[in-house]
Amino acid sequence: MNATALTIDRVRVRHHGALLVDVADIAVAAGRPLTIIGESGSGKSLLAHAVMGTTPAELEVTGALRLGARSFDLGDRRGRRPMWGRELALLPQEPATALDPTMRVRSQVAEGVPGFGWRSRGAGERADAALGHLGLSGAGRAYPHQLSGGMAQRVAFAATTVGGARVLIVDEPTKGLDPVALEQLADLLAEHCAGGGALLTITHDLRLARRLGGDVLVMRDASVVERGAVADVLNAPAHDYTRRLVGAEPSRWQLPWMRVSAPEPEGRPLVTAAGLSKAYGDQALFEDLSLTIRAGERWAVSGPSGVGKTTLGNVLLGLVRPDGGVVEHAPALRHGRIQKLYQDPAASFPPRVRLGVAVADVLARHQVPAERLRSLLAAVGLPEGLLERLPSQVSGGELQRLAIVRAMLPAPALVVADEATSRLDLVTQETTTDCLMTELADRDCALLWVTHDRDLAGAVADQLLDLGAWAQGRSSPTACCSSTK
Amino acid sequence: MTTLTEPVLETTQPGRRQRASTAARRASAVLLGGLVLFAAVGPLLLADPAAQALDRYLEAPSLTEPLGRDEYGRSVLARLAHATRLSLVLAGLCVATALVVGTAAGILAAWRGSWIDTVLRSVSEVFVAMPALLVVLLVAATADGGVWALYVGIALAQWVEYFRMVRARAAIVLGSPAVEAARLLDLGWWHVVRRHLWPDLRPLLTTLASLGMVTSILAMSTLGFVKVGLKPPRAELGLMVTESFPYYDVAPWLSLAPVAVLFLLTVCFLGLRRTETA
Repeated sequence: MNATALTIDRVRVRHHGALLVDVADIAVAAGRPLTIIGESGSGKSLLAHAVMGTTPAELEVTGALRLGARSFDLGDRRGRRPMWGRELALLPQEPATALDPTMRVRSQVAEGVPGFGWRSRGAGERADAALGHLGLSGAGRAYPHQLSGGMAQRVAFAATTVGGARVLIVDEPTKGLDPVALEQLADLLAEHCAGGGALLTITHDLRLARRLGGDVLVMRDASVVERGAVADVLNAPAHDYTRRLVGAEPSRWQLPWMRVSAPEPEGRPLVTAAGLSKAYGDQALFEDLSLTIRAGERWAVSGPSGVGKTTLGNVLLGLVRPDGGVVEHAPALRHGRIQKLYQDPAASFPPRVRLGVAVADVLARHQVPAERLRSLLAAVGLPEGLLERLPSQVSGGELQRLAIVRAMLPAPALVVADEATSRLDLVTQETTTDCLMTELADRDCALLWVTHDRDLAGAVADQLLDLGAWAQGRSSPTACCSSTK
Repeated sequence: MTTLTEPVLETTQPGRRQRASTAARRASAVLLGGLVLFAAVGPLLLADPAAQALDRYLEAPSLTEPLGRDEYGRSVLARLAHATRLSLVLAGLCVATALVVGTAAGILAAWRGSWIDTVLRSVSEVFVAMPALLVVLLVAATADGGVWALYVGIALAQWVEYFRMVRARAAIVLGSPAVEAARLLDLGWWHVVRRHLWPDLRPLLTTLASLGMVTSILAMSTLGFVKVGLKPPRAELGLMVTESFPYYDVAPWLSLAPVAVLFLLTVCFLGLRRTETA
């Protein structure tokens, strides 16, 4: 059972002399998952592509790997192609974009069946069986855009594994998945392993690493800093960086702005919503929903994807008109005193204008002295030189912090954060959230955080509105507003 | 996570195609500069384009008259300078008017939506349904060949293109999260126009404008050629081509000179466009 399926003797990936990956002695045994964790830019995904032979030609790859009894030179990209799908398979990032948008799901999966021929009946049946096994038997005729994120992920999984590859590499599978979809995916991966397959998972999600078990490798700055069994490494990390990574999980945060108990509702109401309802087509998102956000309160809206969290946030912001009910904003929210943070900060800045120019407009409009901008930048740890760049030239974490700075300039009374940290890795998520919450706590600003991460919701908010529970049970919405403490 | 295309994009060197396109743009700019200088300075230095000297009928090119004289003994070089100036100035006016009107209407339609959008779109569709040259012909015919009729006609035929492109593009920009954020920040419409719309529309508008210059110049000379546009004795490129046709076998320079100027103007304006839509 524990035969080694994949051995990486040594991998080096270079780009113009800069070492991007330098890793040695990785053995993936059949039936024992191996998970690589680490922060953005540590070279995790590059490692996966170097193993597959799918790195761009500009990157120089050297090293050797063994698949069972055969060995391969990593510098030769073509050598491994006959193995793709049969022996070695990669489940790519962002399955929704990895699928062909113009092809029906069933034919995409059927293409991966060994001996596939145009309109071959056997391949179609194998595809149906694979989809049926994943609980997608009804989706065979659907196009990828008709699927939810979790379903697209499972279709991609079916297409990747239908060829019967024993060694499966999974690259960052949890991006944008809610906890339910994450559970389903983890079950699939565990099943692959239990059936004698070898599994190499690349992720920054520690929950997935724990769930899968087996061994874990911690990568930082192109090399491995720690390795061992998952339980050992994550419960008793030896390396400083691993300790930081583990401590950055929202459930373990201990930060000065966190409140032990929710304060009494005594502030003046900022947003009063009564009898809200909204539907897209036939699908009702919420009905007869009422809530009041008072000054200084911290709210979280949670639930699985597609349940209408973002829409509710936009309705409360006044950006989307509800089908029924009213949203009243207090006069204190006028003139830019209600702000929003976006999931993709790059999309919230004018793309062709330098950041400094865009921020200067905010300073001028709200008559904020330049001193204030400088102190805010210093408080969130951003260099002033950043303002010389375009949004596309700044990393996601830095740009989100700059978005926080920009949102703070008009001295807001309420900030709505729409999945504001869900695209960031754990350590960056912690620093970014810390920046935001420190600023909010300093001026007693209210918060509404839209997130699918219950741990994060618990860490930042005092009150939780669980749209998922409400949609399932159709119970009274007020029953789903609960204290997170 | 680590996007594999990132390091690749960062280091992409300007390719051979891009360098060639930069060189072509530079050459076009230099040549166009020369033509503009000729149109601006020529009419001041050269003789009166209408001064006839019937005794020097169809005189061949010489050192004092590099392009010779036409059937009334008028200096072809002087007439050419005046005609080029007329073409450039009138085309520039037409394009500027069409650009300002079309862009403003496009932004207004995308911004306000509802009935304003419906009305503007309906009007634009009427113009789309009519061939551009027909619009110019109609206006020119009713106003009897004046410069103003030509100007109004061409500008009317061209604003639709700007309107439709700008409306489609502006609707995307105005619906973006960046503009939503600007609204929440209470930054006002001027910020949205200056920082969001203008940077996005600028490359599109410069391309459209250089194409518009070509279309206007060609439309003017086409109308002159079929004798609907400007009337003799005014020096105009299209008119000059028609007038010189009867003498093609004895004095080919007469018709070749305006044709060459038209050709160069077209090539220069087309060459000025950027190949990549930034």
